[in-house]
Amino acid sequence: MSLAKIFSLSSRVRAAGANTVLVRYASSGKEGQVEKVYPPNIPGYKYVNAVDPIMAFKEMSDRAAQTIFWTELARGFAVTLAHIFKEPATINYPFEKGPLSPRFRGEHALRRYPSGEERCIACKLCEAICPAQAITIEAEERKDGSRRTTRYDIDMTKCIYCGFCQEACPVDAIVEGPNFEFSTETHEELLYNKEKLLSNGDKWESEIASNIRADHLYR
Amino acid sequence: MLRQPLTRALALSSPSRVAPLAARRFADQVQAQPDKVEVFIDDKPVYVPPGTTVLQAAAEVGVEIPRFCYHERLAVAGNCRMCLVEVEKSPKPVAACAMPVMKGMRVKTNSDLTRKAREGVMEFLLVNHPLDCPICDQGGECDLQDQSMAFGSDRSRFTDIHFSGKRAVEDKDVGPLIKTIMTRCIHCTRCIRFASEVAGIDDLGTTGRGTDMQVGTYVEKMFLSELSGNVIDLCPVGALTSKPYSFAARPWETRRIDSVDVLDPLGSNIVVATRTNEVLRILPRTNEEINEEWLSDKSRFACDGLKRQRLVTPMVKDSRGNLTPVEWEDAIVAAARALRDCPSDKLLAVAGDLADAESLVALKDFVNRLGSENTCTEQFFPAEGSGTDLRSSYLLNTKIANVEGADFVLLIGTNVRFEAPLLNARIRKAFIHKETDVALIGPKVDLTYDYTHVGDSASLVKDLATGTSSNEILKRLESAKRPVVILGADQLKTEEGAALLAYTQELALRLQDNLQDKEWKVLNVLQRTASQVAALDIGYRPGVGAALAAGPRVVYLLGADSGIVTREALPKDAVVIYQGHHGDAGASIADIVLPGAAYTEKRATYVNAEGRAQQTLVAVTPPGLAREDWKIIRALSEVAGAGLPYDTLDEVRERLNQVSPALVAYGDVQPNNYFAQARALAKSLQKPVSGKLDVQLKQLEDYFMTDAISRASPTMAKCVQAVLKQKTAPY
Amino acid sequence: MSLLALDKWAKLVTIISQNGGIFKSIYKLWRFDTLKWNGKLVGTDSLGNKYYENPYYMLGRSRWVEYNDYVRWDYDATQITPEWYGWLHYKTDRLPHEDPAKYCISCCAWYQKWMLPPEENLSGTELAYYPYSTVRQHIQVWDGKSVCSRPTPCVCK
Repeated sequence: MSLAKIFSLSSRVRAAGANTVLVRYASSGKEGQVEKVYPPNIPGYKYVNAVDPIMAFKEMSDRAAQTIFWTELARGFAVTLAHIFKEPATINYPFEKGPLSPRFRGEHALRRYPSGEERCIACKLCEAICPAQAITIEAEERKDGSRRTTRYDIDMTKCIYCGFCQEACPVDAIVEGPNFEFSTETHEELLYNKEKLLSNGDKWESEIASNIRADHLYR
Repeated sequence: MLRQPLTRALALSSPSRVAPLAARRFADQVQAQPDKVEVFIDDKPVYVPPGTTVLQAAAEVGVEIPRFCYHERLAVAGNCRMCLVEVEKSPKPVAACAMPVMKGMRVKTNSDLTRKAREGVMEFLLVNHPLDCPICDQGGECDLQDQSMAFGSDRSRFTDIHFSGKRAVEDKDVGPLIKTIMTRCIHCTRCIRFASEVAGIDDLGTTGRGTDMQVGTYVEKMFLSELSGNVIDLCPVGALTSKPYSFAARPWETRRIDSVDVLDPLGSNIVVATRTNEVLRILPRTNEEINEEWLSDKSRFACDGLKRQRLVTPMVKDSRGNLTPVEWEDAIVAAARALRDCPSDKLLAVAGDLADAESLVALKDFVNRLGSENTCTEQFFPAEGSGTDLRSSYLLNTKIANVEGADFVLLIGTNVRFEAPLLNARIRKAFIHKETDVALIGPKVDLTYDYTHVGDSASLVKDLATGTSSNEILKRLESAKRPVVILGADQLKTEEGAALLAYTQELALRLQDNLQDKEWKVLNVLQRTASQVAALDIGYRPGVGAALAAGPRVVYLLGADSGIVTREALPKDAVVIYQGHHGDAGASIADIVLPGAAYTEKRATYVNAEGRAQQTLVAVTPPGLAREDWKIIRALSEVAGAGLPYDTLDEVRERLNQVSPALVAYGDVQPNNYFAQARALAKSLQKPVSGKLDVQLKQLEDYFMTDAISRASPTMAKCVQAVLKQKTAPY
Repeated sequence: MSLLALDKWAKLVTIISQNGGIFKSIYKLWRFDTLKWNGKLVGTDSLGNKYYENPYYMLGRSRWVEYNDYVRWDYDATQITPEWYGWLHYKTDRLPHEDPAKYCISCCAWYQKWMLPPEENLSGTELAYYPYSTVRQHIQVWDGKSVCSRPTPCVCK
């Protein structure tokens, strides 16, 4: 039997004693007379606030003994010790990872069509809707006459990851991918330009496509 | 316990006072508008003159009826049907833009029937309109977008389950300025009406009917007009968009700064749309006095010239004769040294086409402080007679807007169409709507309307002026109630220029004296450049010929890029200081280059050909190390030891005010007088003339590249090439 | 058995044996800070990382990755490939080869042309991304010589 068990047993005994005290208090009232019971005993409610310590001599001497012999300290150590043998509640990142939703909004990426043509058509709706004004787009006519961006910058330090940009995008070009592990050592590295975003998309396409597929019924 | 306003409580207490007041008000309305008809728009009564359309009457009470084809400045077409409204006792909804009001008409602009009609029209329009708003340049400023939001149905019945596709139309190639995506066209025919009514080019039209209807030029052909850019503004959808601006920006992300155009002498009001410190496009700003709501192509599309050939850093010629970038300090010191070492009579300052009034006055003050009087403009103007002393002899005295009211226009040696396209549009408007007659003395050019070609000999002017001409034009001029004579400033360059001006003054004032309307001004001189009027007002001497002949040692070019001052004309050791914004003729001969600001980059005053002072505002900052022009001169004056007494723009403008209050009376034109004195002074100059009048800009291809900005513009170069190519085309 | 917590000791022995003996277990414990029990190897990604699953553990601990031995202690969360990312994050229960959206992409020749291999977070290394402009200079500066003039008639064709 573990040390913790011994201590918890003693506490249970103590709790039972307290209960009897309470009952005794409640029953000492005269019959038919409405008496204020403290703590109030209302059916359906549980009193959660601190209860005044019982000032009987036995209780007081018990408390004094616990203080003098540091039994609380010992019990605290025992709890810690007991948790060594229990399954931990935390996860062992980076080997284990926490659950994510398909709709998780992480690092941005610019996607391409299967042919390799970039999706973005420079309509600038994401730029317009961005509440943090983190997106900067410049566009011009490409040689073949299509509408393309020459510049698609996202300041990832301004971005609030609200996902409005991917909501606004008519061609699913800008998406917030599942990746959240893109912390950097300098501020500059988070000022993404078009090529960085496209390369993000090129790396993460399989996961992004899977997420969009998972969510397609709700879009 | 005053629940009612005090006035109403008082009024109630004395009904005897109220009744006559009300009666009088009613009587006033009836009496004041005896020739007007009463109509009710949404039960609001409005009195309008008969012949007003329902749409205009609704606008009177502030009810805007949606429309696509209707445009205030164009003829009514009534083919988009968007303006359908319910009229009481009418079996069908009527097109408000084409329906004249009738007495007691009750129009319901927001009834169920009206709304259903609009929804139906919108649905039909959208059936064949592509949903490519995200890639459409009109997106954000599209009438169809806005009105489908406001008046369209909230759901679509268009289900293309068989993928048969919407109507698709091949795009047309109408030149390097206008991009056509004809699938988006909703056949409002605004462009067609603009082309034939305002621009005077009957090339656009429709072919086919129903689904097969197409707007186009029949055969593939460039839209050969100097006003073509306006169809972009007119197009309510994205069928016609600007090619140079294509895909560059969205309307909601641009900053719009009101400014003034300087590429032609009219000073059209413009809006400069900028983003990230870059001028993206230029749009017209409505000014009924000058440009209405049109803008000429050069003013609109030459803005990409502001990004090329720019001077961004001061430059000084090094030992090998190459201009090398230096710091401001070095350039200013070098320029100041040259100016200080120069004998004052050997100093020459030349102002170019695009110089603003502030820098002009600063330069003149500076040169005067150095002891010289040699400040000239590139453009010539005769100094004999009254010269430039009287403002009336070098301005458009009639004013641009008043030309519409003329009943006879005599053009002498000017191709208004290319020298001032919007003035020509006014004359054309008068020609079409008021049956104004136009006569031209000078080379035969295409003015987009019919005119009587009198000849191209200068002596014709003399004959008309002296009244000895047997030409029937003279009779028509004399019988005209509101004649206008416009003389092109280019004609004054020749030796006979002074005489020609004298004869024109004589002719115009003789006509003016006989007019009943004493306020009407007949004499007009059409300047060629935006800076000339301000320069003459400030006291620059027109023309550099005499000053160049004197062999100047230091020449200060303030944006002088016309190529009139050349290295060959200067002594070998002359130092040329060029201040301006473009590397062009002036900078290429310079020893010291001081980078200035273009008209979109400074707050500056320009005076247009009618003498109206207007100011440009800072739309973008000058590139690189370039600075505002008057500040450069101010800094230079300090180093040269002749510090100018003003440090802020307000102080410079105060100085302008001292020179001439007209220079800072923004937006106003001061009426010009002293015609008689000018005429008297010119009497002695009436020498026989024999030359032929010729104009510089004869064809459309001559129009596009006339100054440093438009010469640097790749779009303008493309225009010239396209026009020349069109000339060789069979159609 | 349970009174003396012998089952716990038995489990410890199982874990050690499953992880390849005492020394290997110590090495793994050193690298991974934990030793897992009864992990089922469900796959290996293109970088050689092994993915395990044991539903005995609570959500969040029931799927784990053992990084390629090659990286030793330089393991990083971004070393796992995007294909496995969703599975490891409990976003989907489908393994990459069971998810049509994923295997379609990895099989399609069109995609192969432009898709990039996974890459770990390179911040702090020489290969780290550093922002640069993707646009041309707006202002074209005068070269000090050239003068624009009207183009001559186009003679082409």
